[in-house]
Amino acid sequence: MSNVIECNNLTHYYGKKMVYENLNIHVREGSILGLLGKNGAGKTTTINILNGFLQPRSGECLIYGENSQHLSPATKARIGFLIEGHIQYSFMNIHQVEKFYSGFYPNWKPAPYWELMSKLKVAPNQKISTMSCGQRSQVALGLILAQDPDLLILDDFSMGLDPGYRRLFIDYLREYAKSESKTIFTTSHIIQDMERLIDDVLIMDYNRVLAQCPVNEFMSTFKQFLFEAEKDLSDLKKEKFVVNLEKVKNKIELYTYESEDFVKNFLDEKGIAYKNFTQVKMGLEDAFIGLTGKY
Amino acid sequence: MWKSVIYKEWLKVRWFLIGFTALGIFGVGYIFLKVQHDFAFMEAKNYWYNSLFKGLQYFGYLKFLPLAGALAIGVAQYFPETINKRIKLTFHLPLKENKVLMMMHTFGTCSLLAAYLLIFAVFFGFSKIFFASEMVNGAVISVFPWFLAGLTSYFIIALVVLEPIWKYRIFYSLIGGFFVTIYLKSAVTAGYGPANPILFVLTACLSIALIFSAYRFRKGEM
Repeated sequence: MSNVIECNNLTHYYGKKMVYENLNIHVREGSILGLLGKNGAGKTTTINILNGFLQPRSGECLIYGENSQHLSPATKARIGFLIEGHIQYSFMNIHQVEKFYSGFYPNWKPAPYWELMSKLKVAPNQKISTMSCGQRSQVALGLILAQDPDLLILDDFSMGLDPGYRRLFIDYLREYAKSESKTIFTTSHIIQDMERLIDDVLIMDYNRVLAQCPVNEFMSTFKQFLFEAEKDLSDLKKEKFVVNLEKVKNKIELYTYESEDFVKNFLDEKGIAYKNFTQVKMGLEDAFIGLTGKY
Repeated sequence: MWKSVIYKEWLKVRWFLIGFTALGIFGVGYIFLKVQHDFAFMEAKNYWYNSLFKGLQYFGYLKFLPLAGALAIGVAQYFPETINKRIKLTFHLPLKENKVLMMMHTFGTCSLLAAYLLIFAVFFGFSKIFFASEMVNGAVISVFPWFLAGLTSYFIIALVVLEPIWKYRIFYSLIGGFFVTIYLKSAVTAGYGPANPILFVLTACLSIALIFSAYRFRKGEM
């Protein structure tokens, strides 16, 4: 399966502050990739580079084989773009905005847009600027669905949405992407949402990529072990197999890609006494925090 | 695609354009009501004498009108694009970025020119009723740089509003403001005659200045 997005050796700085160096990302055709990272890890920077709104210091991103800084109109027509905050032309109403966009896309499909609009309780002439954040999100999503792009780039789609609208957004999006074999590159700061949506996960921390793999693979290989130990185990953080270690009183949370037997053998070999050793079942959010740390 | 771009720009500027055009026509109407009033009270021959030899310029009220229109239409057209960096939506349309920008700009320029033309036509028509051709020609030469000042301001507003960094916006505004005053110096009737072709060329050169701000935005300046 070919890659729709390929970022090679991407490096960017804001002034002297490094965002990342030699970052490599690829998104498989037909997959839904979620880019996760703490605030300031470089999620929006990456989205901006992908859309040609930011020139990286070095490296390049290719979308359908074209440099993202110089996308041709034909390639841009294949990309649906959701700006953080569901930004749209707020001086228009839902009829005007549909009429405007339909003139640009020969394959415009108004039916999914109007299906979503029928769920909104908005007056026909109500300006987008007077709509709630949830209603605006449906307008933005409806427009992308009507555009019928091959690739959707969504910047923090869950921002400002209540749980109902988030669920509606995700369910529509996943159903659409899977039935039509669309590729999605998305960020969101609400990780539970990602769990329902994505196939692949890319986790970024400041300056580096911590994980990039199918989300099922990540969730089955990345583990949290909880045990009690009296001894100071802060040195354990230096061990290669320990991804992260959090300690609250005598309770230790150890995050690793290794197996339970491996960790137990290690503790035994080092003569570290422990009790109540258990593997904790994690959700994606727990795994994300385990990987990146709580702060 | 032209149709869609025109539609969006029209939605943004329509009330400002209609309002400005109406204001301009009323302004011209006011000028000639005053001329008629002054003709009645001081007699036409004295009014003409003052116009020809004493520097009276009946059209003086027009001086800042094109500037006001440019300000209204420029801000109405470009400011909404900068709220929440909405210009990203425009640049993401399936067109070359500079092309879509110049389509918007062409619409704005043509709208402004249409309003100017209408206002000027009313002004010219009434002038012909009250004054001799030689005096009307002098008035036309005098008001021409004022309309050019309006167009120039519109181009500078586009440059300023689309610029992503505030300190550069202020810098461009100061330089632009100084530049526009060149078109608006006090002069005897028809005094700008020799300068008008040069001012026209300067205005034409500034017409694509907004591409620089758009380039800086796409480069990621912030």
